[in-house]
Amino acid sequence: MVIFGANGDLTKRKLMPALYRLAYEGRLAPGFAVIGISRTVMTDDDFRARMHDSVPKFLEDSPFDADLWRSFAQGLFYLPGDVGDPVLYQQIVKSLEEVGKEHETAGNVLFYLSTQPSQYAEIAEGLGKAGLAKGAGWRRIIIEKPFGHDLTSARDLNTRIQAHFEEEQIYRIDHYLGKETVQNIMAFRFGNGIFEPLWNRRYIDHVQITAAESIGVEGRGAYYQEAGALRDMIQNHLLQVMATISMEPSATFSSDAVRDERAKLLRSVRILKPEEVAENAVAGQYGPGRVGGQQVVGFRQEQGVNPESTTNTYAAATFLVDNWRWAGVPFYIRTGKYLPKRVTEIAIHFRSAPLSVFQSADGPGETVPNLLILRIQPEEGISLKFVSKRPGAGMTLRPVSMDFNYGASFGERSPSAYETLLLDAIIGDATLYTRQDMVEASWCAVQPIMDYWGAQKFDFPNYAAGTWGPAAADAMLARRGHVWRTP
Amino acid sequence: MPAVALKPDEILKKLGAYWVNLGAHDEAGADVPRGEDGGLLRACSMTLICFADDEEDPDALGHTLASLMREHPSRMIVIRLRDGEDELAARVSSKCWMPFGHRRQICCEQVEVTASINRLADVASIVAPLAAADLPRVIVLRSARIVRAGALRKILALGDKIIVDSSRPGAPGFGEIGGLLDAGHTTGDLAWTRLTPIRALLAQLLENRRPAAIVIEYAGKEAGPESRYLQAWLQTALPDAFVSLRGNGLPPDCEASDGKPAVVRVDKDIAVRLCTGGAEYDSGVMRQRASMPEGTEERLLGEELGIVVHDRVFERALNHITA
Repeated sequence: MVIFGANGDLTKRKLMPALYRLAYEGRLAPGFAVIGISRTVMTDDDFRARMHDSVPKFLEDSPFDADLWRSFAQGLFYLPGDVGDPVLYQQIVKSLEEVGKEHETAGNVLFYLSTQPSQYAEIAEGLGKAGLAKGAGWRRIIIEKPFGHDLTSARDLNTRIQAHFEEEQIYRIDHYLGKETVQNIMAFRFGNGIFEPLWNRRYIDHVQITAAESIGVEGRGAYYQEAGALRDMIQNHLLQVMATISMEPSATFSSDAVRDERAKLLRSVRILKPEEVAENAVAGQYGPGRVGGQQVVGFRQEQGVNPESTTNTYAAATFLVDNWRWAGVPFYIRTGKYLPKRVTEIAIHFRSAPLSVFQSADGPGETVPNLLILRIQPEEGISLKFVSKRPGAGMTLRPVSMDFNYGASFGERSPSAYETLLLDAIIGDATLYTRQDMVEASWCAVQPIMDYWGAQKFDFPNYAAGTWGPAAADAMLARRGHVWRTP
Repeated sequence: MPAVALKPDEILKKLGAYWVNLGAHDEAGADVPRGEDGGLLRACSMTLICFADDEEDPDALGHTLASLMREHPSRMIVIRLRDGEDELAARVSSKCWMPFGHRRQICCEQVEVTASINRLADVASIVAPLAAADLPRVIVLRSARIVRAGALRKILALGDKIIVDSSRPGAPGFGEIGGLLDAGHTTGDLAWTRLTPIRALLAQLLENRRPAAIVIEYAGKEAGPESRYLQAWLQTALPDAFVSLRGNGLPPDCEASDGKPAVVRVDKDIAVRLCTGGAEYDSGVMRQRASMPEGTEERLLGEELGIVVHDRVFERALNHITA
């Protein structure tokens, strides 16, 4: 495996701990080796020492075995270089030959691009020109998000990468799809017989997808102000989650069959006309506020952020899916920084019972719609909310919740998203990776919003840190008679 | 000096870790068996947020709340408020019990927050994310400090229902409770709840009667909230009757707390004595004794927790008083 950006945060926090854990579980081939590449000059031993420092710190729910590390670390190598320099790629050829011989890798190579997104095309071209896109074994390339910064750049990036790599070799990573609970959505929908008959416009009133973060930009202000919540979360993670919730069942669980259905759904998302954006999308930016009893600064006061930045740290949008299953059912998606708690959940709001037969002395009783909650993080699980009779005299109804908790039910550790996705890429299963047509379809869905927002002057900040976002987001739902659920 | 911080996510994380540990090992450190025959059940039907003053006996409060959990298993969030230094701290624990004949424990989680009164606004923003989603949230206001605090409105917004006890010292009065109702809060008052068995008895007695005058005699010089609620309830239920209150009308053998209803006289022929532990009904022809459940705080709170919608009868009585 060749990691570009080996001195970066992602390698330290996610990739290397995931690889170590796979090794711990014996899921990596005995000769597995990593060649780390970045501009920083250091030796193999320096690289190993750095990884040794970070892996125990970022291992999730796992023990650190010093003996295993010694063996694992023997397969770590490092190559300093500039990705714009053709010499680097000749050095990679040489290193791969040496490491391949020593570790018997049979010429199989997985390239992982964990650099600045602006370097992706350059690296793919460098690899292609050096003949590294093809070899004795398989060659695959994993590309981190964001895949482009808009529809045009995504298409351009794709054209440049596909000039050297076939689509089957390209693995566009969206770590949300690697989360156990996101995968479980498919098990829940297609492994059970009772839910799918209800999974349509006849029984479902609307769907809310919330991905809330309780922290601010945490020193990443400079990066974040170029991205914003819509690009950073909705275009990729949350639209993929929405596609998983709403796609048709695939004929088989093969990579292409599943991805065909996801892509089909994303292509069915209604593209907003410019005049529809204001009513169906809300941008927000946090201002100063109190979080956990402490005063925090607003986004514009964060280090490295332009004091007049119009970057959205909160985004909410209403998406409609134009197919027979979902016509007229709004999918509300929201995400933001400095919201009251860290939570990612999907709430399926079912239609209310058509008539309340339980009258109270003071008038007709209310019907309470059933709610199905798919909790992605934290406390991964599923809850079904329904009403029940309160014990005692009279017919008093009370909402109750029936819970399935992942941790409590299985009692075993769930692999991290990166463990799942890296292993899938190694064994050549692209089911949980996004394809170019899916990437383009999700850019198509958000492009009108980006275009409209790009031409607006926002009165930011419009929500205080520690609150559930701007009032306009509540108004967006109120127009259809809905309210945001409090997770 | 920067203010003390308390992050809701960290409390929830602690709570998660606490459950993992509780589910894996018992108090002696032995492994807890999993499956149908063992382990524990994390029970929660609502979030119960209780504000108490720090001077209140923690054991007594703990006992009251624990006894509620069998009937109303809840995520309990207890906030103990004190004067003085800037303080904000939290700890997590649980209340567990083993139903008779079962091998599985039932447990409810508890978060105890200690805060100085000057941090009340922060408490609201910390407690809100701790509430269990999609289930009723009930606030019990036992703290006298909180009632007149500036951040009270923020606190009240946390709950679907607010329970007070207007007979407690420093508790909100009728006007303040009426204000809660006007602001749209579902509200309960334990002073009203204390009357439930009395109202049930009087409703049976008066079912086929059209009394002209009813006198409620209470102990002491000033009618307490219970006596006033009783008057208002009777007056709204029997608009043709003249319902009055009379103080210091306690019979010599009667023991009743100051201001509480002691005797209800219906016209000139019926007297219901409420001052002897139970109730005594005397019509001159027939004399009968009825037992009354003890008005413990657990029973009263339990009754109020069972009603998470508006109690229209209570609201009518309160409106009558505040009109």
